[in-house]
Amino acid sequence: MPYHEFKCSTCIPERKNHAVIKGPGEDLTMALPAGYLSTIPGTISERGCAYCGAKHVIGSPMKDVIHLSHGPVGCTYDTWQTKRYISDNDNFQLKYTFASDMKEKHVVFGAEKLLKSNIIEAFKAFPNIKRMTIYQTCASALIGDDLNAIAQEVMDEMPEVDIFVCNSPGFAGPSQSGGHHKINIAWINQKVGTIEPKITGDYVINYVGEYNIQGDQEVMCDFFKRMGIQVLSTFTGNGSYDDLRAMHKAQLNVLECARSAEYICNELRVRYGIPRLDIDGFGFEPLANSLRKVGLFFGIEDRAEAIIAEETARWKPELDWYKERLKGKKVCLWPGGSKLWHWAHVIHDEMGLDVVSVYTKFGHQGDMEKGISRCEEGALAIDDPNELEGLEAMEMLKPDIILTGKRPGEVAKKIRVPYLNAHAYHNGPWKGWEGWVRFARDIYNAIYSPIHKLTLLDIAADEIATDTTFETQVMLSDAALSEETRNAADLRQFTGQFDGLKSLRGKTYPEFEAKTAGAA
Amino acid sequence: MLCELKERERAGIINPIFTCQPCGAQFASIGIKDCIGIVHGGQGCVMFVRLLISQHLKESFEIASSSVHESGAVFGACGRVEEAVDVLLMRYPDVKVVPIISTCLTEVIGDDIEGVARKLNEGLLAEKYPGREVHLIPIHTPSFVGSMISGYDIAVRDFVKYFAKKTEPNGKLNLITGWVNPGDVTALKHLLREMDIDATVLFEIESFDSPVMPDGNHVSHGSTTIEDLTGTANAQATLALNRYEGGKAAEYLATEFDIPTLVGPTPIGIRNTDAFLKNLKTLTGKPIPQSLVRERGQALDALTDLTHMFFADKRVAIYGAPDLAISLAEFCLDLEMKPKLLLLGDDNSGYQHDPRIKALQQNVGHEMEIVTNADFWELEDRIKNKGLELDLILGHSKGRFISIDYNIPMVRVGFPTYDRAGLHRHPVVGYAGATWLAEQMANTLFADMEHKHNKEWILNVW
Repeated sequence: MPYHEFKCSTCIPERKNHAVIKGPGEDLTMALPAGYLSTIPGTISERGCAYCGAKHVIGSPMKDVIHLSHGPVGCTYDTWQTKRYISDNDNFQLKYTFASDMKEKHVVFGAEKLLKSNIIEAFKAFPNIKRMTIYQTCASALIGDDLNAIAQEVMDEMPEVDIFVCNSPGFAGPSQSGGHHKINIAWINQKVGTIEPKITGDYVINYVGEYNIQGDQEVMCDFFKRMGIQVLSTFTGNGSYDDLRAMHKAQLNVLECARSAEYICNELRVRYGIPRLDIDGFGFEPLANSLRKVGLFFGIEDRAEAIIAEETARWKPELDWYKERLKGKKVCLWPGGSKLWHWAHVIHDEMGLDVVSVYTKFGHQGDMEKGISRCEEGALAIDDPNELEGLEAMEMLKPDIILTGKRPGEVAKKIRVPYLNAHAYHNGPWKGWEGWVRFARDIYNAIYSPIHKLTLLDIAADEIATDTTFETQVMLSDAALSEETRNAADLRQFTGQFDGLKSLRGKTYPEFEAKTAGAA
Repeated sequence: MLCELKERERAGIINPIFTCQPCGAQFASIGIKDCIGIVHGGQGCVMFVRLLISQHLKESFEIASSSVHESGAVFGACGRVEEAVDVLLMRYPDVKVVPIISTCLTEVIGDDIEGVARKLNEGLLAEKYPGREVHLIPIHTPSFVGSMISGYDIAVRDFVKYFAKKTEPNGKLNLITGWVNPGDVTALKHLLREMDIDATVLFEIESFDSPVMPDGNHVSHGSTTIEDLTGTANAQATLALNRYEGGKAAEYLATEFDIPTLVGPTPIGIRNTDAFLKNLKTLTGKPIPQSLVRERGQALDALTDLTHMFFADKRVAIYGAPDLAISLAEFCLDLEMKPKLLLLGDDNSGYQHDPRIKALQQNVGHEMEIVTNADFWELEDRIKNKGLELDLILGHSKGRFISIDYNIPMVRVGFPTYDRAGLHRHPVVGYAGATWLAEQMANTLFADMEHKHNKEWILNVW
């Protein structure tokens, strides 16, 4: 077994099962790290909790909802304004967060009354918002408050409001992943099927496991709408509460992040017979194939092909400009969960980067299977990495760039490895054809940053060049390129806008002739 | 009285101003050298706090979790602390100080962290790590009591209480800074140097303005040592700048070791810095040197250019850490501004007895409200629904959308300030801090005048 033992972790032998190096000719059965096990205390793991998995990752991107956490104030504060799940309703869910403010007396005597006052006050403060999600926390779970009963009581008294209860305290599982599962199941149990939607077209999907980071959802929905597909709901980025209550009426669940949202797709299949189709919104080819699959399902492949042709023609020259300059650069692909397999192969195929390592904080073995099978030989795969292992890996692999979270990015900065924010993106959205070029541009800018180059100079020991008064990224990236590539007329740098979403919001779409009589 | 002190009347919080106690204890812990704290609770209590502090400082640093999962919550999780301590000590050979920071989870289930520390001291540490200096320090910071502010206060006290040991007088001053920025520590040390005072600074976090170095110095640490903490008992005096962040430690040292002690004022603004120097002089007998007279003069010179021309009657809302918010209000009054609303984000019962708040109540000549246990809705609701008009907001980044959505210019100050670059490097304390703050306020107002075409032509001839 090609397990990799970190020097810093020899003293905790169980860690050995959590890292592998994919050797030549090895298949997955020989190279699969353990995953989703209890965290070893004191390792300085990067994992979060099940509350944040439920509330922060999946719950809060719902846009027209009061997100109320029942507990002390910290859980709410800490998961507020630390992600970029935007929405087209002026970002209500980013701007407002609610905490029941549980204090010691409530811990002793119960906090159900407090919760009820909170709910009523919150609706009063925002009279236009009629939907709410209440999140349990460690404290409210342990004192045994009955959130469901209080929610029902308020709904009985205020028939115009609807409340969803998510019981996923921080301790409920080894990582945030436990919370993903809990909120998926809670939503389908409590809310799906409680509203009948208006079906406006022949082809109706739920877009699932998509959180609208910097606008990803809006970019993807643009493609679906251009295909004449009705997106009944998005689970959950930029998603509307009532739309999501009608998930049972879709013909197909199009699933993006299987790690966080396959549970609800599987339940929708079992309970309502809706098939699940896994797609990739990242990368030209995976995205093209994804739209093709959706087109194939509905028998509208031609509509998919038209979009693919148009977008590819528009953006391929720009992607290839970057590919020429990123070839062979080494990347540590260290996101939270699903992006390790969303990106592993395609940043190699389409940007020329070599993935030298993948890791996952909260992924399961299934995510590693997909990730490892898609990355290059020799890549180091790490489950539930910790601070010292991350450093050791970077020292061993000497990556040209690392794609990870904000705080680990600060660690990378100090050892002079450029970093991009894999969770929130630098200059996203990164989905869609344009998004993928944005991603390539961000990677390029990070690797060829003149300031980054200056960090590699030791002015006390090295020769200081006094004849170079500045450098540009192109001066750095193109020095080693052939004349032909450098001047290739059919390649160009990114030409999109800073905020590409402006042109999407309020856009009108062509009407397709209805397939069946009666459909609008 | 025109200035009213009131408490939030609503039961709940809409957009919190503070997070909970464990965050404060964690922030204190990173100021100590060779220290990695273990937060005993769910993993989010560490992961998000590290993210928060790292967003503010643009640095990384180490704090561990005992990673309590279901079984621990049900059956007790002391074993997780034992394992965490062992794992941490095995892998971080330099670590000597390990605070065990409790959370709501482990306080509710009643884990005995003192008992764990005792057990580890007698068992694991004696047997597996004989001869290694390790200090396990239980710190109780249940999230349902107080706020990040009291969590910081408790942690500083507990660190001092654990280490302080009376031996020989060391002639030093204990300077307990409270929750400040690296830039503030630099500024305070500058003032001490000018006064020729040898001080133990709790905590030395200047090093969090840390460099990218050719040898790849990778993790930032505070630099307050065990010796510094031990020596606090032997100081000639203690000066705590903040009543609510470090006041408890000062009180402990005063009671336990009979050390002459002064608490406050937070040296924000000219007047408070004057009082700070006076306090230094009182405690150490050292005179205020001409160099500081000159430095003060430079600040006054800068402020004189701004006060009646630009600041007079400007209506300000201020929120954040209590000592900071109160001193900012005092400074604004000296600058001829009108603090209209002061929001203190927790329910500390001491606020109503705070002489500074009493002084505001007695002497402020315009309508002003001080709201305790406040949230951001206390501010937004007044602007949106109750006709509060403001010219400026002073506070940390979590209130940014009020400034953005209601078009009110805002100067970021306090913790956290992640949506502006580099603020942790700049002091708000001392004369230099007064100048920096006033000029930030002025430039922010200027940009706003220009943006809104609001008498922007005034600046043509200034």
